[in-house]
Amino acid sequence: MGENETDLVRRCLEGDNSAFAGILEIYQDKIYSFALRLLRDPVAAEDAAQEAFVKAFRGLSSYNPAYQFSSWLFRIAHNACMDALRAGNKTVSLDHEDFPDLPDPVRGVAESVADSIDAERIEALLASLPPLYSEVLLLAYREDMGPAEIARVIGAPEGTVKARLFRARELIKVKLAAGAAADATVQG
Amino acid sequence: MNMDAGKTDKLIASAIAALPYSRPAAGFSARVMAGIAAGEARQPWQASVLKAAGLIVTAWAAALVFVAAGLVYSNLADMAALVIQPDGLARAFNLVAAHAALVLAKTVAVLALASDIMSAAAAGLPAWYEIAAAAAVCAAALAALSTSGRLASRRI
Repeated sequence: MGENETDLVRRCLEGDNSAFAGILEIYQDKIYSFALRLLRDPVAAEDAAQEAFVKAFRGLSSYNPAYQFSSWLFRIAHNACMDALRAGNKTVSLDHEDFPDLPDPVRGVAESVADSIDAERIEALLASLPPLYSEVLLLAYREDMGPAEIARVIGAPEGTVKARLFRARELIKVKLAAGAAADATVQG
Repeated sequence: MNMDAGKTDKLIASAIAALPYSRPAAGFSARVMAGIAAGEARQPWQASVLKAAGLIVTAWAAALVFVAAGLVYSNLADMAALVIQPDGLARAFNLVAAHAALVLAKTVAVLALASDIMSAAAAGLPAWYEIAAAAAVCAAALAALSTSGRLASRRI
C-alpha cells in the first residue's frame, strides 16, 4: 500500500470522511472494471461498485492494516458481484458448468494464434468464461495478486485458486485453438 | 508450429495485464459519497432510538432489582428465621403456596364481584328481543315516512 493510501485510510478511520474521496479516486476504475468484466453489464457493474465502496466505508474499522487494502476492497467488490450474479439468476457455482472436459494437458497453441491475442480477443475470451474463472485470471494478471492474496479476496483455499487459475488458462487455450481451427475451416 | 504451454501462459498473462481499465459514468464518485452521507445521516437517528431503548430497558431492570431487593431486605429476617429452623425450607414453601392460594382466591373473588356488578347493570336494560322489536318498528316507520314524502313531492 502506498504512503498516500495509508494516510487516506488513517484519516478516514479518524473520522475525516472527505478522505474517502481520495480512496475512491484511486480505486474507482479498478473496482468498476473488475465488476464490469464479471457482470458484463455497465449498470449492474456501477451498482455493484457503488455498493462495494459504501460497504467499504462503513466497514473501514474492520480493515486489518496487516493486509493489503486493495485485497480487502476487492474482497468486498467480489462479494457485491457474486450477490449481483445470484440476484440475476446467473450460475456462480462451478458444479453445473457446461464446459467440455479438457484434454489433459492442453498443449501450447499455434504461434500465429498466440500472436493474435490482442485486448479485444482476450476480453471476449474472458467474457466467455464463468465468472469464477475470469475473476481469478483478472486478479492474478490484471491486479498482480498472488494465489494467497486471491484466496483472501475470493474466500477460497489457496489450492482452489491455483486449480482455478490452471483450468481458466487451459480453457482459454482450448478456445483459442478452437477459434483458430474455425478460422482455418472458413479460409479453406 | 505449436508454442510450448508455458509461453502461451505468459502471452495470456501479459494480454490480461495490458487490459485497459474502464471508467464509470460521470457522477459515480458523487453518488458513492451521497450514499455514504445518507448512511451517515441515518446512523445518528438509529443510534438515538437504540440508546433510548437501551436506557428504558436499563431503567426498568434497575427498578425491578430495586423493588425486589427491598422486598428481600424487608423480609430477610423472616426468611432467615424460616431457613435456620428444622424443616424451615418446607415451611417456607408452604407459606409461599398459601400466599399464592390466597392471591388466587382474591382474584377469583374480584372477578366474581365484577361479573355481579355487570349483571346488575345489565338487568336495568330491556330484554334483547324488546330492543330488536323496537328497532324494527322504528325502521319501518322511517321507511314509510320517506316513501310517502317522495310520492307527495312527485305529485307537487
